[in-house]
Amino acid sequence: MIHLLKNAISEGLLNIRRKLGSFLITLLMVSLSFMVFDIFLIISWNLGTALKDEQENVGIEVFLRDNITEVESVILADIISGMEGVRSVYYVSPEEAEAVFRADLPEQADLLTLLGPQFHLPASIQISLHPDYRNSEKVGGLARTISGMDGVEDIVYGKEYLPGLTRAVDILEKLVILAGLVLALSLSLVVANTVRLAVARRALTVQIMSIVGAPGWFVRVPFLGEGLLTGVTGAAGSLLLTMAVSWMLSSSVPHEFLPGKWIMLVLILGASSGAAGSWIGMKSGIPKPRS
Amino acid sequence: MLISFGNVSRFYNDWPALENINLQVQRGEFLVISGPSGAGKTTLFRHIWMGDLPSIGTVEVAGYRSDRIRKSDLHYLRRKLGIVFQDFRLLPERTVFDNVALPLQVAGTSPKAIRRRVFSLLAEMELNHRRGSYPHELSGGEQQRVAIARAMVAHPVILLADEPTGNLDPEVSRMVIDLLIEINRSGTTVILATHDPRQVPAGTARFIYLDRGHLVNPSIWDGYRQL
Repeated sequence: MIHLLKNAISEGLLNIRRKLGSFLITLLMVSLSFMVFDIFLIISWNLGTALKDEQENVGIEVFLRDNITEVESVILADIISGMEGVRSVYYVSPEEAEAVFRADLPEQADLLTLLGPQFHLPASIQISLHPDYRNSEKVGGLARTISGMDGVEDIVYGKEYLPGLTRAVDILEKLVILAGLVLALSLSLVVANTVRLAVARRALTVQIMSIVGAPGWFVRVPFLGEGLLTGVTGAAGSLLLTMAVSWMLSSSVPHEFLPGKWIMLVLILGASSGAAGSWIGMKSGIPKPRS
Repeated sequence: MLISFGNVSRFYNDWPALENINLQVQRGEFLVISGPSGAGKTTLFRHIWMGDLPSIGTVEVAGYRSDRIRKSDLHYLRRKLGIVFQDFRLLPERTVFDNVALPLQVAGTSPKAIRRRVFSLLAEMELNHRRGSYPHELSGGEQQRVAIARAMVAHPVILLADEPTGNLDPEVSRMVIDLLIEINRSGTTVILATHDPRQVPAGTARFIYLDRGHLVNPSIWDGYRQL
């Protein structure tokens, strides 16, 4: 069995060596196809990171009535912190709000002096949310609940931009999945077609192997191995090409290259589409032995 | 019985390539199947290596029945057979050594055992000096001897030779037939399909005749006029 497996593998390597030229052309085709995908992923990744950063800041700011005491404010903050979707709460006293205002907007600090000592900024509770709650629907629901509570004057949570942001993140995620599937399918067809042509060229070999008693898998393994190798090497080649392009553009268009997980995803996609392509090619391409 | 055809018929779109064939072949026998082109000789061979299955009836070869064999078991049957074709069917990108070694490689034989067996067989068939050559560098007779060596390398129980002399001149044809007789004498069952049974000396083989898919009684067969 070990010899049989070794022979099947060396048969596959021999096949590649015998048609190295066409193997390299196939590899280039797969690399270029994957490169389009890699560039799409980089754009998606950078856009996604920017949107996620924006989403990270999504929270609720609850402004309290003037007549509420500090103790009542702390009790209210405690109640809010126990609500579903709330990660943490932070009470901002009028004094702290004024200090923040002066630090953030020093050029407008005179305004507070002008308004006199009887004026003070309202106390507030800043709510940080769990990642699952950083979308317009859930934030809106939570805000509505909190706004009905005693002592709450007003609520701010980015009502205007949050639906758009949520939708953008949602569309981007779906687009990446859809484009990934379409590309995996088209790559499989490219590799399948190439392998089918290779099988047609080796019809006599396949036929003789079958007649002299080769098990089905012995005939299939070299083709599957070839498809897998074509897919994974093509994907790796595309990453190298994309990395070079990314490096060249990095000064004019600041961006990040793909993270390790996504690189692994591209390689796995390459391997699986190559193997799947070979499988399709074999199923439709291996000729029946003739007499 | 090593090979048995029981009421075998094979139809292609209602056209009968074989009709009601009953045939038994014993171990160690030399059987010559003759008949004109299109008589069904090759179809009969395909049924022996089960590259084709009967429309009606059953074929049994070395314990494998056509109505029970699974696709995944076909290679076990084929390892018991050696097959020689008229057009040799050698793999052009492989050397003589690699062509002959193929049946052993697909059976999982160790490289050392493959070398030993192939060298010994090539020496026996006076082809050792050609082991590094490619098929296109060989004469027709040498190519057919390589094809016979490939068929014999895994010690088959049955050797099927389908018109092996069809592309050879008379002298080389005689040598190939002598080689088949020799192989049969060493114990291998040989089945030869030929359109000219006169190539095989009388008394060395059993002769059957096929005509338009039917087995014909030898005493009334007049097929020689068609040869």
